[in-house]
Amino acid sequence: MPKPRKTAWTAALLLAVSFATPVFAQDEAAPASADTAVVTHEQLLRVLEGYTEQIQSLTNDLDKLKKIKFSGYVQARLESGEANSDTVKVSGSPYTATTANLNRFYIRRARLKLTYDTGALSQAVVYFDGGTDRTVRLLEAYVTLLDPWTPLHDHQLTIGQQNVPFGYEVERSSSVRELPERSRAENVLFSGERDRGVKLVSQWTPAIQTTVGLFNGGGVNHVDFPNSDPTLAKDFVSRLRWSQGTFDVAASYYFGRNTVPLTGADATAKKSRVGFDAQAFYSLPTLGGGTVRGEWYMAHEANADSAKALIVAPTSGNPVRLLKAGANPDHLSTDASGGYLMWVQNVGDRAQGVVRFDAWDPNVDTDHDQYSRWSIGANWFWDGFTRVTATYDAVRTETKTGPRWTDPKDNLWTLQVQHKF
Amino acid sequence: MKFVRTALLVAFAALACAAVATAGRGITVKGSDTMVILGQRWAEQYMNKNAGQIVQVTGGGSGTGIAALINGTTDICQSSRPMKQDEKLKLRDRYQTMGVEIPVAKDGLSVFLNEANPVKELTIDQLKQIYTGAVTNWKQVGGKDATIILYGRENSSGTYGFFKDNVLLGRDFAASCQTLPGTAAVVNAVARDPNGIGYGGAAYAKGVRDCAVRKDAKSAAIMPTAATVHDGSYPLTRYLYFYLRKPAQGDVKKFIDWVLSPAGQKLAVEVGYYPLK
Repeated sequence: MPKPRKTAWTAALLLAVSFATPVFAQDEAAPASADTAVVTHEQLLRVLEGYTEQIQSLTNDLDKLKKIKFSGYVQARLESGEANSDTVKVSGSPYTATTANLNRFYIRRARLKLTYDTGALSQAVVYFDGGTDRTVRLLEAYVTLLDPWTPLHDHQLTIGQQNVPFGYEVERSSSVRELPERSRAENVLFSGERDRGVKLVSQWTPAIQTTVGLFNGGGVNHVDFPNSDPTLAKDFVSRLRWSQGTFDVAASYYFGRNTVPLTGADATAKKSRVGFDAQAFYSLPTLGGGTVRGEWYMAHEANADSAKALIVAPTSGNPVRLLKAGANPDHLSTDASGGYLMWVQNVGDRAQGVVRFDAWDPNVDTDHDQYSRWSIGANWFWDGFTRVTATYDAVRTETKTGPRWTDPKDNLWTLQVQHKF
Repeated sequence: MKFVRTALLVAFAALACAAVATAGRGITVKGSDTMVILGQRWAEQYMNKNAGQIVQVTGGGSGTGIAALINGTTDICQSSRPMKQDEKLKLRDRYQTMGVEIPVAKDGLSVFLNEANPVKELTIDQLKQIYTGAVTNWKQVGGKDATIILYGRENSSGTYGFFKDNVLLGRDFAASCQTLPGTAAVVNAVARDPNGIGYGGAAYAKGVRDCAVRKDAKSAAIMPTAATVHDGSYPLTRYLYFYLRKPAQGDVKKFIDWVLSPAGQKLAVEVGYYPLK
């Protein structure tokens, strides 16, 4: 009998209010009659002005605090590699091989970015990562100077540790990428994506943007020179981008030198990279937006197999690392190429499907050293900040074993939850 | 191992097959504080005429509305300024679209002066100099010898963005500019301050005086009136926008169609804005 009970409660409430109201009115009326002659309209105004000043002061303090912005994201992941694979891979080259962990939970990325934006002519960023190997490391630290002579600061100079401005994938944040990892070609050529240097980004028209930069060249993940630059000359990078909004296209160029550490004088060899990328976007009435994008890299790059073939490896009895007699240091580098083609389709506002094919050939003059991968994935956007990603990577890693080649079983399942703040 | 594989497979299938489950929660509209009253009036009248339809309108500023559109927490974003390029790129990163822009009304951005201020008109360049701090005394622009007190909006406001882009030409506001939450607060501050100057939607100008604006020193001084905003001769005329993630469909389309209909546009005029045609 919920209805009569509800009615009874309502009646009781009304009764209580009707009795209580005169009492409250009396209670309020008594002191009011004593104070009416004291509190004038002007006094009230002064009190209000005092509060207004306090609020103004707080607002000014708040405005200063607003210049400091914290942002970041956490990616918690479950990975499962194939049974007879010897790796559960982490991106990068060489990737981390963890024999014991065929399937595991781990934190792929745990990032915190601090931006101090005065809104004037400069900005500073410090960016930390505590994922993957569970040690906190400095990912980025740079200062950007904005030009004072254009209204929208069309020319911006950034100096410090930052993404290398080459191609589309390198600079695209892992927090917005549709698949958990970048392509293999990008992982090898720009391992860690960051380097120390300076870049100038110029927006010439709403559609045309150029970037030129000078960098140490090793990158932050360089095995031998992560913190130093053994070459006198800096590596040069440039990029020209035309962006229409629904169709963007860009070309990138990189030129520098590789240093291969040896006992005594190191060997150096030329390094160059050319890249092209394009992205086309469309919108379907029911499903929503979609994109097809691709990127291709051509490189002349130090090659691990060449190093093995041309360098005498150190041993405990003979701990020196030297070029073999008659070996040409230029041959430490080979022509390489790789890239990807991917399709992303939103399904409403919450779901998204992704397919990508990527390939990497570390030496175009040699057969059966290629890497290729089909990745299929789905994203579910839990809310505005959290998404769940599931992907399957079907990998072909051509491996020479004598006159034949094999493809070790190293396919990979990934389930990831990301929260971005 | 088999369990992990199976769990991953199930999760993958669930994600891949997941469809949008957002039906039946009504239409949410977030964004511009300038437009919040207009949006609420549109929503009220639309719901009165369409039983069962729910339209929820909240403010917070154009920037807040655009962030909500990107985060997927609103169906429609109200904005008193066009979306910036970096906002479009964020939207594209998430939804693979640059968004859909729908102008829904016109507005004149008024420059408010205290009733006692003898200054009647200012050029865009003078406004720029005043708000960037290059001109600090009313005497420098034909007024009395008194320090100019600047009032403005927070940086999440579309009105702030429009004023910065179109009057300050991208320069930064003077540090002395006091930011206030909402155009009504700016109007109140200027009404109480004989040396104050503020800016905001023309619909809010109560108890203050509109300043005539010249495009440059040679142009005529124009007051923000229905005629000058409508024909675009008032230099600080702007469009008010709805932004969507994708082309409108279903209930959202019905609501927008009604906003753009003669009845919706008439309501915009009643609230103090100007129709598109």
